[in-house]
Amino acid sequence: MRVELDNLTKRWGDVTGADGITLDMQNGEFVAFLGPSGCGKTTTLLMVAGIYKPTAGEIRFDERVVNQVAPKDRNIGMVFQSYALYPHMSVRQNIGYPLKLKKTPADEMEKRVQRVADMMGIGHLLARRPAQLSGGQQQRVALGRALVKEPSLLLFDEPLSNLDARLRLTMRSEIKRLQLDLGITSIYVTHDQVEAMTMADRIAVMKEGKLQAYAPPNELYEQPRTIFIAGFVGNPPMNLFDAQIVQEGKRYLARRQGFEMEVPHKQGSRAVGKGQVVVGIRPEDISLAQNTGITGEVFVVEPLGRDNLVDVRIEDLHLFVLADPRQPLQIGDPVQLQIDGGKVQLFDPETEYSLLWT
Amino acid sequence: MKSEAPATFTLHSRLFRAEAHSTFLILIAGPMATTQILSEIQDPRTGRGRWLLLAAGFVLLGCFFLPWLRFVITANDRIALSLTGLQAVTMPPVETTDGGLLYRSSPWMYLAPLAGIVALGLGLLTLRPGRSAPWHGLFAIILSVTAAVAVWSVVTAAQEIAQKQKVSVEVQWGLALTFMALLLFLISGLVALRDAGAQQPTFRAALDALDFMAPGTVLVIVFFVLPAIILFILSLTDLSSANFSEPWTFVGFDNYRRMFSDRFFPKILRNTFQYVILTLLFFNVGLALLLALLTAHVSRRVGFFFRLLWLLPRITPSVVYIVMWQRIAQQPPYGILNQLLGWLGVENQPYWIPEAPWVFVVLVNGFVGASFGMIIFTSAIEAIPADLIIAAKVDGAGDLALIRDITLPLLRWPLLFVVTYQTLSLLVSFEYILLLTNGGPGLFTTEVWALTAYKRALQTYFGSNQWAYGAAWGFVLVVIGVVLSVLYLRVFRFNDLVQEPKIDVL
Repeated sequence: MRVELDNLTKRWGDVTGADGITLDMQNGEFVAFLGPSGCGKTTTLLMVAGIYKPTAGEIRFDERVVNQVAPKDRNIGMVFQSYALYPHMSVRQNIGYPLKLKKTPADEMEKRVQRVADMMGIGHLLARRPAQLSGGQQQRVALGRALVKEPSLLLFDEPLSNLDARLRLTMRSEIKRLQLDLGITSIYVTHDQVEAMTMADRIAVMKEGKLQAYAPPNELYEQPRTIFIAGFVGNPPMNLFDAQIVQEGKRYLARRQGFEMEVPHKQGSRAVGKGQVVVGIRPEDISLAQNTGITGEVFVVEPLGRDNLVDVRIEDLHLFVLADPRQPLQIGDPVQLQIDGGKVQLFDPETEYSLLWT
Repeated sequence: MKSEAPATFTLHSRLFRAEAHSTFLILIAGPMATTQILSEIQDPRTGRGRWLLLAAGFVLLGCFFLPWLRFVITANDRIALSLTGLQAVTMPPVETTDGGLLYRSSPWMYLAPLAGIVALGLGLLTLRPGRSAPWHGLFAIILSVTAAVAVWSVVTAAQEIAQKQKVSVEVQWGLALTFMALLLFLISGLVALRDAGAQQPTFRAALDALDFMAPGTVLVIVFFVLPAIILFILSLTDLSSANFSEPWTFVGFDNYRRMFSDRFFPKILRNTFQYVILTLLFFNVGLALLLALLTAHVSRRVGFFFRLLWLLPRITPSVVYIVMWQRIAQQPPYGILNQLLGWLGVENQPYWIPEAPWVFVVLVNGFVGASFGMIIFTSAIEAIPADLIIAAKVDGAGDLALIRDITLPLLRWPLLFVVTYQTLSLLVSFEYILLLTNGGPGLFTTEVWALTAYKRALQTYFGSNQWAYGAAWGFVLVVIGVVLSVLYLRVFRFNDLVQEPKIDVL
């Protein structure tokens, strides 16, 4: 099912939950709403579910405006962070509840519940109560309940946030695989950019009720349109600092106290003469070099296992760098930094928009 | 000191009342002491306390055989009798031909060792190594204090009688020894308690818990247990305003016999059940649930307004409230109801309360009672996690299905609580019926149990308060209430209710 949100807005008096959200989802697409707490992603999701009535704008399912359609008539399935299983019903009753409401015949209901439960790997737990299940099992029941009525739209509201880290990885790939197999259009709300990046076909980044960007994960990562996206997407986060872009002959230089680096022509030409700009460099685009580059001093070393995250101090600037853990680094050691100028992002500090991708 | 011999020498009945008290205590204390002593021997972990307890127990038992008091009858120049501890468990004395008094053993005496054996058996059964000491220490303390009070009451009664009968009474060394034994018993109990506290962290925790519960326990004892006991004792007497100037006497279960054979007893019983069940079902639970569901499904402000509105009957003084109802039901041109009916063209309008007394009894009480359940249910509905409601809506539930499948099942515990609480509260309430119909019209038409108890005991027709008879009615109601409470708590598994909030277990 195609889903379109057109200038979708929700206000409660002076408080704005969602402000003019416009985006579209293709049939079978997996879309993530990404943003910090209170950014309006759950508000938007609940409007799609029909729980909240939009203040303005339209929601269209396959060209049909559904603003006034009750949740029960939207044929959607929803999965919650809290699982939201009915505590007084058994697993069988929980999964079968949407079918029961549709007045499905008992034998067919039994068959479909069993099939979905088997698919979720909880076929042997049907007689239990939710309180007798582990968190992961409960989430599978919740998924089964969302899937059993074969919805045309699946809504996920931070479904993995209550699970432990290991289980989160397993469930992440399971949900992704399931969505691909079933081909159900899905909206996945999360504040975890790793989840959004790994699972979604497209990500809608939201901040303070506004849509910041709506793009595939790679584009979001490589061509961040705002400072917010640059800082929010990617782990460890991008280094962001103020600098001035100056032209010296044919070279463009980003310069600040104790720091100077060359910027390619394509990027430099767009920022020159703008005064102070915000420079963004991802930690993986900086490397430690020998006898060349910018001189700094090791401030903190955080071992991440595969890499070490090194906080390098250059005057009053701190840059995070990913370094080989085999390289012995002590706090206070002098180091040289080599920066991949081609990957540098430049932003206007006033508008917070990228100088490169707008 | 010489004077004429009293022809008949009767001891005042008060002595025997004092004796009765001590009889009771010895019946209790004897088994307790026996259990105490034997369990101390059984339990190797009790420590220093047990030898003290053992010794004190034997001395105490022994003391009951020693003479306590000696009545000296001066007229015959001879000692008429001396009273031992065990003679406190005797029948009233029989006068002998020569004007002396003869004490005979009471059959009750044989009950003491029998009860002792039973208690001993129970004590051994419940005995667990390391766990008995605290309770036995407590037993020793309670026993010694109560026994001392009882013994002292015997002494003071004897002294008073001796003064009235103009005989002298001498304190014998057995009495002093008894008091010393009791003191020893008290000290050994305290020692045992302290040892137990040192040995058992669980016991210390129990003591700490007791500290927390003490204020509540004291309140319950002072305002419920003691009044209930007094009520029961009162119901065994003939106390009433008819014979108030004479000394009252115990009449056994006469009041209860009279109550159960009252020809209106079945009627009152039926009325009580009718009143409780109808009001509970339709208003205290039914209407309360309806109000809670309705006010929870409208906007917050409107919901709040209606809840407030339904609280009004509860906060209106009962007399004002009843007068309002009577005004509603009055004959034309006063009654509001009849005014409205008049406009609709209905003729022959009566005063409605005597016409349909039960409708008004239930309405009047129901309107007051609905608010309690409404508030409990509302808070329970508000406490249902929003996700569950959203999930149900997305799953395809309409408003009715939502209430039937999600809200009501999750209200199970508050529902059971309100049923329990309101049954008991309706059972003992009568003030609105008293003010509205006073049990009428006619004979016992709307009279409920609590109202009967009130009328018999406290309502005066030409000074006809039958306190004791009313107490019998009241006491049976207390017993019904306690039995129902226990039943409800069992049936509804109240322990599960207080363990964890059911709604939050997801």
